Amino acid sequence: MDTLTTLVLGFLSIVIVNNLVFSKFLGICPYLGVSGRIDMAFGMGLAVTFVVTLSGTLTWLIDHALLIPNNLDILRYVCFILVIAGAVQLVEMYVRKFFPALYESFGIFLALITTNCAILGMCLFLNLWKVDNIVEAVVLSFGAGIGFTMAICIMAGIRENLQLANVPEALKGAPITLITAGLLSMAFMGFAGMIK
Amino acid sequence: MANSNSPKALQTLLAGLWKENPVLALLLGMCPTLAVTADVKSALTMGLSTSFVLLCSNIVVSLMRNLLKPHLRILMFTLTIATFVTIADLYLKAFLPAMSDKLGPYIPLIIVNCIIICRAEACASKNGLFISIIDAIGMGLGFTVTLCMLGAIREILATGAVFGKQVLPVISENWYLTGGMPNGFIPMFAFALPVGAFVTLGLILGLVNMINKKTA
Amino acid sequence: MQHKTNPIILFIKESWLLLVSAFIFGLLLAGINAAWSPKVAINKENKIQDAIVALIPATANSQVAIDNQPIQLGDKDTAKISIYKALDKNNKLVGFAFTASGAGYADKIDLMIAVDPSFKKFLGYKVIFSNETAGFGSKIKEPFYRDQYIGAPAKKLTLKKVGNAKKIDDEIIAISGATISSTAVIDIFNKYVDKVKDLMTQKGLLK
Repeated sequence: MDTLTTLVLGFLSIVIVNNLVFSKFLGICPYLGVSGRIDMAFGMGLAVTFVVTLSGTLTWLIDHALLIPNNLDILRYVCFILVIAGAVQLVEMYVRKFFPALYESFGIFLALITTNCAILGMCLFLNLWKVDNIVEAVVLSFGAGIGFTMAICIMAGIRENLQLANVPEALKGAPITLITAGLLSMAFMGFAGMIK
Repeated sequence: MANSNSPKALQTLLAGLWKENPVLALLLGMCPTLAVTADVKSALTMGLSTSFVLLCSNIVVSLMRNLLKPHLRILMFTLTIATFVTIADLYLKAFLPAMSDKLGPYIPLIIVNCIIICRAEACASKNGLFISIIDAIGMGLGFTVTLCMLGAIREILATGAVFGKQVLPVISENWYLTGGMPNGFIPMFAFALPVGAFVTLGLILGLVNMINKKTA
Repeated sequence: MQHKTNPIILFIKESWLLLVSAFIFGLLLAGINAAWSPKVAINKENKIQDAIVALIPATANSQVAIDNQPIQLGDKDTAKISIYKALDKNNKLVGFAFTASGAGYADKIDLMIAVDPSFKKFLGYKVIFSNETAGFGSKIKEPFYRDQYIGAPAKKLTLKKVGNAKKIDDEIIAISGATISSTAVIDIFNKYVDKVKDLMTQKGLLK
């Protein structure tokens, strides 16, 4: 029961309190790029969720089974990025085969997941937070993906409405998106301290 | 050789600073731009580390550009970048431990900074060593300067200091009890928080848009 | 990846550059690591030493008394703890310092807590890691709050919203606007104090 509480709290905290986009600034590039339409944002979010869960778990395993026992901390970054690149390749092949329409609409962004900071960032945070059991690692990485999906979908919803708004000429596009993100992050700050 | 190269070299160098400034014009590498610019010192460290990695990866990629196989290209790039980032990380841990603690995971996150992979793909894998180096210097400089600018704005608004030095007198506590005018600068802590990062960058991008439109 | 269906020659032909450069990069990293890792290790030690000196100024030398040992804090709450002995220049014991951590407002808080040789008084604390809100929770690093712990009795402490912060006793005055961070620090103290005392008595560090 106790472990379950820890897991649920950990999950909630990564989704809303330590949301990767709003409090750790991870995954901003795709956040600005694909958050224009809500369906694409959702697809992107799911792809990221899948990759981050997969690579978070894998890198945690590699870290604890190979790198830490053998004192190979120095190879951590190289290993992590290769695992992520591999996982992305896998997802790309899968989506191209089974969901060609989705693949078309993702375009370059699917390949760009490799360089999505949210994924590498999450793997590194798992190491930094000294997460020491695999279930927690899986739950946290999954939570990170959900958090990202949520952030990007909220943003897409707002941006769809922003098109109807009268935004000053110079602020159109990325600037107003960033300012909106700032306001959103302020709203999310309210959740901090909720989970102890 | 040098004569025909130098105008292009100069152009490449200047492009990185303004016209193709990685942050302001290309919108690349947003993550460190937002995360580590709460003060100038960390912004400068981040900018220089990124420039170092960018320079090294551009050199290596440019040297092996004729040997690259298309489908292994990205893998090769990431491998190169990850190696140099590890070196930069070790350097900071060894010689600037305080900075390394502060920047934490954002140093390894240079690996996924889109600027580096984008320059490797767009410039180093197509151009010779000389142009690649110049390009890396220009882009690195542009990135560092932008980061420091953001850092300075945010640090001064949040604490009234720049580079850790107090430049604006901070208002004394309970000044309102003595009556009269505020006797100093009121620190706006929000600028040290994520919201400050997003809003400042958004406004700067807006300003850049405005300037570009005026001059165009 | 086509190497499964194609002969091994093709595989080598396609990927020799990758293999060779992986090898070279590996060597490069190994070399640099060998050259710099002693420095990194020294930095880590220095950081602990500096923290101890900041808390117990008389310290000339510090020794690890208990290294990274699990300690039972509550029913299901265990943590790893390191305890350091602080010695002055005549090799006289001037205090102990131990690592402690707990949940803060936004993230965990890691502290280094110092006590006097007889474990009667706290000698203060230093924040090793925290991510509290700038301008509010981050004030746990500032003298107003920290100084209240210097000389406070080494027993359970209580948090008060208002009172005299200058008076050193077991009542700690909270930082206004950052009650949660203030509580977090005090909770860490209360969580550790008795258990650490027990552990140290057990190990024969306290007489």
